[in-house]
Amino acid sequence: MRKLRLIIKREYLTRIKTKGFIIGTILVPLIGLAFCLLIIFLVNHKPTHSMRLVIVDNSGTLAQPITQGLDAKLENGQPEFNIVQTVLRPASPDAVQQDLRARINSEKIDAYLWIPRDPKDSFELHMRNPDNFSLIGPLSGAVDQAVISARLSERGVHLDDIKAVLHGNDLKLMKVSDAGEAEEKGQSIGIAIALVVLLYTALLMYGIITMRSVLEEKTTRTMEVLISAVPPFELLTGKILGVAAAAFTQFAVWMISTALLFTYGALAAMGMGGTAMSGVHVPISLVLYATIFFIGGYFLYSSMFAAIGAACSNEQDAQQLQWIAMAPLVFCMVIYSMVLNDPTSTASVVLSEIPFFAPVLMALRISLQTPPAWQIALSLFLLLATTVGTIWASAKIYRVGILMYGKRPSLVEMFRWLRYS
Amino acid sequence: MDAITLENVTKSYDSVTAVSGINLHVRQGAILGLLGPNGAGKTTTIRMIMNILVPDEGSIQVLGQPVSDNTRDLIGYLPEERGLYPRMKVREIIIFLAALHGLTEAEADRRAKEWLETLGLDEWSEKKLIDLSKGMQQKVQFITAVIHKPPLVILDEPFSGLDPVNAATVEEIMIDMRASGSTIVLSTHRMEQVERMCDSICLIDKGHKLLDGDLRAIKQSYGKNTLHIEFTGSDAFLKHPAILSMTRLGNGVEAKLKPGADPQEILKAAVQENVSIIRFELLEPSLNEIFIDRTSRA
Repeated sequence: MRKLRLIIKREYLTRIKTKGFIIGTILVPLIGLAFCLLIIFLVNHKPTHSMRLVIVDNSGTLAQPITQGLDAKLENGQPEFNIVQTVLRPASPDAVQQDLRARINSEKIDAYLWIPRDPKDSFELHMRNPDNFSLIGPLSGAVDQAVISARLSERGVHLDDIKAVLHGNDLKLMKVSDAGEAEEKGQSIGIAIALVVLLYTALLMYGIITMRSVLEEKTTRTMEVLISAVPPFELLTGKILGVAAAAFTQFAVWMISTALLFTYGALAAMGMGGTAMSGVHVPISLVLYATIFFIGGYFLYSSMFAAIGAACSNEQDAQQLQWIAMAPLVFCMVIYSMVLNDPTSTASVVLSEIPFFAPVLMALRISLQTPPAWQIALSLFLLLATTVGTIWASAKIYRVGILMYGKRPSLVEMFRWLRYS
Repeated sequence: MDAITLENVTKSYDSVTAVSGINLHVRQGAILGLLGPNGAGKTTTIRMIMNILVPDEGSIQVLGQPVSDNTRDLIGYLPEERGLYPRMKVREIIIFLAALHGLTEAEADRRAKEWLETLGLDEWSEKKLIDLSKGMQQKVQFITAVIHKPPLVILDEPFSGLDPVNAATVEEIMIDMRASGSTIVLSTHRMEQVERMCDSICLIDKGHKLLDGDLRAIKQSYGKNTLHIEFTGSDAFLKHPAILSMTRLGNGVEAKLKPGADPQEILKAAVQENVSIIRFELLEPSLNEIFIDRTSRA
């Protein structure tokens, strides 16, 4: 135990002192923060000054209702659209167009709206920057409303009557769970996807770190000195636990900073007029289950990655062999949307019972809709049994592999190593 | 009680037999030279003594105990394939490995300081290993093998990469360790070092033991059948029929005589050829000679 503690301690301290670790730990929350702020900014971004607009109305009737529809105000109280001029039925349309283009180019106006003679033809909005969505949206709405209103009037119907008739009602989604029911705001899908990405990334990232760490001891030839002091199994265990401790540290930093970010980020978002970030609620039972499945999956995958690192003598060989451990994880990422769509289908249930997929897919199912207890228990049992078996096999491969240099072993050879004493 | 006992030890990898039925007893407080050509099975034998490999057949005992994870701490090991964490500081890595061998960190720290001073590395203790020269790294590795004062030390090519001054220091340390009761297994290809330091030798080739025992007794058993001749002039007299084989040295030859041959005949032949003799001595064969003789015969 003393030796194991020393191995874990060294591995942990080495990991957390690397530049990559420090940068990753600090940078990831900062990037997350920047990303959130960018989204909030884009969602809430409103122009700060009015759009100077000229309306050219060849029909002679639509300019007025459209102008009425463009009554939105900016945050600073200015109108969103400033109708500089309305030209009704111009005698020489081409000359007017030329003049307006010149005015846009000299920045006297921002845009002009061209209303065709026949409202069935296309309306045109001429501007320098035709991808300014925040302006095109309201303008297009006003045009639609004016045209529809005109058509309805022709048939003797008033637009407001239609609106009153067609006014539907919201369908409120309520999620029923053991804890009672609560209004569903599309959170569980968001949480489920975040969970899948988180589990996948963590299992893959720290698995590969474990593999590299084993490989480093081989390539630097430190291995033989180490196993002259520590039995290989203790060395393997210490390595996996040391990386796990570093992973836990990194995750703790990320979680705490994310929590802070959500608290302050939500405040910031509300300050900017958004409420999208507030009120995200992660059930504690989900956190518990996800943690248990993550720990099982962590040992399963880390030991596989460690065995691969031990079997190879250089980085290239390891990259060629690491697909063995990566394939099931990548498969989870490919298939998860199927489980997301129908978590109770036979395929979803079966896949989530398979130990190599369970850490991601069972956690996903639990986050969506709590499966029957026996399914969770069976999945967990199979996962633990497979993890123990995999650790045993990995330890065998590790013990033989750490002293083998040269050609990368084939899978058949690695299988044969399992029988070595 | 022997320091090491090997009984009928056999180890094969798939189709290759690396070690075949080796018996060996290493006396406590002695320096044993473990000799053999490349690929003879020396490293496999050492790894089995370290419990890094498990023999297919036979048994191994270290200081009276069957090898196990617990006997690891009785042994200090300098492997042939050397290397330590390149980005760790010299002092840290010595303390880490010493602690793994059971020392407290405070004790490890104290001894590390002493050793670094002895080997002239005290100024480098806070440097990363990667910043040291190959010879200095070698010395650090040597410290990690002996810092826990193990009763048994196994050194695989300890002098490779060391300059003559450092090699002499390491040699002195080894002699001191023997004086204080440690047993040392020295695996090397440098025969002159073995002749100077070892009490006994074990010669293996292709997994089989060819020869083992007290070095002096082995040499005596060969008898005085080797002529060391230093001379100036023509070497035509060396074609004398009494000479079985010879090795040219820098300033002369080492000639092995046919059984029953009279060395005086060769001296006469040399005088007749007007060769001026500087040295003409009848000796036991050198270890180098014995090594070549035995491994080429097998």
